[in-house]
Amino acid sequence: MGKFGKEFIKGLIITNPVFVLVLGLCPLLAISTSIDNALGMSLAVLIVLLGSNAIIAAIRRFIPNIVRIPIFIVVIATMVTIVNLTFHANFPDLYESLGIYLPLVVVNCIVLARAEAFASKNPIVHSIADALGMSVGFMLALLMISFLRQVPGTGSLSVFGFHFFTLPVLGKNPIAIFILPYGAFLVIALLMALFRRTGVMKL
Amino acid sequence: MLAKTTLKNAFPIIILTVIVAICVTALTFTESITRDKIKAQEEQKIQHMLSAIFPDMSRYDFTNDIYTIYSDGAKVGYAFLAVGKGYGGDISILVGLKDETTVKGITIVSHSETPGLGSRIAESSFTDRFIGLNVEDVALRQEGGQIDAITGSTISSRAVIDAVRTTAMEKVKQLTESEGRE
Repeated sequence: MGKFGKEFIKGLIITNPVFVLVLGLCPLLAISTSIDNALGMSLAVLIVLLGSNAIIAAIRRFIPNIVRIPIFIVVIATMVTIVNLTFHANFPDLYESLGIYLPLVVVNCIVLARAEAFASKNPIVHSIADALGMSVGFMLALLMISFLRQVPGTGSLSVFGFHFFTLPVLGKNPIAIFILPYGAFLVIALLMALFRRTGVMKL
Repeated sequence: MLAKTTLKNAFPIIILTVIVAICVTALTFTESITRDKIKAQEEQKIQHMLSAIFPDMSRYDFTNDIYTIYSDGAKVGYAFLAVGKGYGGDISILVGLKDETTVKGITIVSHSETPGLGSRIAESSFTDRFIGLNVEDVALRQEGGQIDAITGSTISSRAVIDAVRTTAMEKVKQLTESEGRE
């Protein structure tokens, strides 16, 4: 496997941004209530992370060390705003569904952390691989958490209006705790404990 | 010697300034080329929502925060925005009135209620409960009205119901007053 593949694959499990690096938890806890939200947020993170990692890797030699953080933030915020405006103007349907997640990406520390820890020290191609891997790893974790919250919390599963199933008893009496904010902490803690116990991921 | 160290110290500031300048230019440029399109999109969105409530709408007027709906030159109703305080934040509702007393229909424009619970206020199974009601009957059944709250989402339901009723009464007053003046 080439270096590109290696940088990509590490984000999925070994350094999974959610379960191993424990990054980006604030937006994750807030929006992991349905599969729709999970996909929307993942797409927003993918777009912004790809752009910011590529730009920062490209200008990394000109960035003086002491002002690197402000530069990262300015680049990321600019990226997000440009993507936001472009989507609003040209892809109204996508904007409608991503509308609340795109601005949230600015405060998603995965983006800043990858700029600091990876893109500012590695060439563009590897930074793109890193961005792809981290985004897919984030998406997998987010889908897992959203599934485990949406199904018991609403008693049914439907994605983008397409209805999959309704559970027999839970459908009438859903366990609301899973949908409410503290349910997110519960689910993520149980998953982390499970992954550590089984040795799938090391913290 | 002194000048050289000053220049060295100023270097990061210069780089940061240049990058911020580039970013501001890029943002201004993007804003200027998307501005008109975004405005057109927003107008289309409003028109789309209005015609969902008034399928026979041919055009609308917007004065004093009230949309007046016309169908082939005849006035068929009014629409306006109402804002309610929900469980998770503001709920924005587009309310359509057939005449000064009857609700034609409502659409939830935006909300941030709990997904799966309060978010059901946006579903037609809830919004359809308003159709054809007298404005005064827009209240929870246990409070003398005609509408049942969604099970488990009483706060969100009440927010929508109260916002629709109070705003509608306000607007109806405003409408009759302005008509009396004419």
